[in-house]
Amino acid sequence: MNTKDIIIRRIILLAIVLLAWETLPRLGVINPLFIPPLSGVITALRELAGNGEMATHAAISLQRAALGFAAGAVLGLPLGLVLGGWFPRLQTALEPLMELFAQANPLILFHVIILFLGIGEAAKTFIIGWLCLWPVTFATITGVRTADPTLLKAARSLGLGRAGLFVRVTLPAAAPSIVTGLRLAAGYAFIMLIAAEMMGASSGLGWLVIQAQESYHITRIFAGAFVITLLAITADWLLKLLGGRFLSRVESGADDYVRMQGSAGKI
Amino acid sequence: MSNLAENIIPDQEPKIVIRNIGRTFHIKKSPAGPHDFVALQEISLEVQKGEFVALVGPSGCGKSTLLDILAGLAKPNSGAVFIDGKQVTGPALDRGIVLQGYALFPWRTVRQNVEFGLEIKKVAKGERREISTRFIDLVGLKGFEDRFPHELSGGMKQRVAIARALAYDPEVLLMDEPFAAVDAQTRETLQDELLRIWEETRKTIIFVTHSIEEAVFLADRVAVLTANPGTVREIVPIDLPRPRQNSDIRSSPEFGWTRHKIWELLQNQPPADHRAGEQRPVADAISPSAAL
Ligand SMILES: Nc1ncnc2c1ncn2[C@@H]1O[C@H](COP(=O)(O)OP(=O)(O)O)[C@@H](O)[C@H]1O
Ligand SMILES: [Mg+2]
Repeated sequence: MNTKDIIIRRIILLAIVLLAWETLPRLGVINPLFIPPLSGVITALRELAGNGEMATHAAISLQRAALGFAAGAVLGLPLGLVLGGWFPRLQTALEPLMELFAQANPLILFHVIILFLGIGEAAKTFIIGWLCLWPVTFATITGVRTADPTLLKAARSLGLGRAGLFVRVTLPAAAPSIVTGLRLAAGYAFIMLIAAEMMGASSGLGWLVIQAQESYHITRIFAGAFVITLLAITADWLLKLLGGRFLSRVESGADDYVRMQGSAGKI
Repeated sequence: MSNLAENIIPDQEPKIVIRNIGRTFHIKKSPAGPHDFVALQEISLEVQKGEFVALVGPSGCGKSTLLDILAGLAKPNSGAVFIDGKQVTGPALDRGIVLQGYALFPWRTVRQNVEFGLEIKKVAKGERREISTRFIDLVGLKGFEDRFPHELSGGMKQRVAIARALAYDPEVLLMDEPFAAVDAQTRETLQDELLRIWEETRKTIIFVTHSIEEAVFLADRVAVLTANPGTVREIVPIDLPRPRQNSDIRSSPEFGWTRHKIWELLQNQPPADHRAGEQRPVADAISPSAAL
């Protein structure tokens, strides 16, 4: 099957789903109070876009997600490089502790975190950053430690020193894995963002959805969900584009892995 | 690049002197408990400038270990290697190495792979491009400069690896079973091309293989190694006429006779006591063509 066929099939399938979304609630097959027809959601979207509310809240949310993601990446990358590249023994020793940290859901400790950091932006950045930190760190460690030894040998035979090897071989060899980690982290950032905004915020898309929920504006809930999904997909697409340079060059299942992990995270 | 007019003076000082190399690995985990494993024992060999020497021997006899030592990637436990009278203490750009497997950088194009050593040598960009173009042409990959390794066949990858090792103009080329992973037909083509490249560049080549046929076809001399411990059993001069590439030399009686002689050398090696139960002739483990 060629790509054109695949694209046509995908468009057809999408059209069917959208059509069903519009007609089934209208025909009363699905209760429109639970799932409003597509046109209703579009109306809500236009309304929120028209009065500028959507843009304001999306911008705030995006800023929070970006800040948390950046914090996680900026700390996770060097942490992974240092632990994976220079202190493999220390890394092995720290592994169980790091696994524990990675599994610890910061939402559970949200109120404790608020005690320390206040209800402001710091707490949100912290919990998003915390969640982003681990996939980036682990992926970087994996990338560095699984760099093909024959490549290192080939470069070493040219008289390349430790620092040169790291920059010219280890880092590019680890890049596909690092990009995978960044994509996972971006997915987590959006999930955690919405949760944090639902728990304690007075702005953002998560808050918008909660507001709509409390006032039974079902179409607005869907409108909010639509924009959140759109942002998450765009972020993933951008990272994929960034990593495409490396990802296309290695026959790894990095892409499938992100999808698998991403959907597992959303459950 | 070395001058084509430069002749090999027979009684000049050898290019490479390998003197009494020994290499022992300490095995920590094994059913027999921790012990020392002698991979190489008293290996001595002298190679003249511009000479093509093949090392042939069964799997595990220490060929790669010896090549690593020559490349300066590993240190011998005893003995020393001298190139132009200077002891080898580490890797350097006077030796080019083509490793077992292709070891191409997957994130670099053909051209970027070939230019890798030149970048390290800090050759200016324009000159780098000129040199890489020349060597990509030399290995017959003109038009594939911007491809990535995963877009190439096995034979093409091997050509890139050779071009990469040649590009920074090392005087010695060390090759570790470079054609082991390609199909038989590509292999013969690559052998022909290697001989042509060797004649054009006059490098000193040490070529590791486990195929007797390949060793005889390519080399001026074949060092026959035996395992447990890895030692040089005999050095066989190959008196076949050159140029051998694109010729029918493989089917000549002299070729067959030389091949048989090496096969016998490998066959007759005394079985090590701890392998006494295993009666398989060593040559069977070496090359399918050896059994012919
Ligand atoms: N780093 C190492 N540690 C322990 N044993 C090794 C190591 N490298 C090689 N050996 C052993 O030394 C012997 C020679 O290996 P090698 O040089 O790769 O053989 P060849 O290239 O001739 O097949 C083998 O028995 C191998 O198991
Ligand atoms: Mg080997």
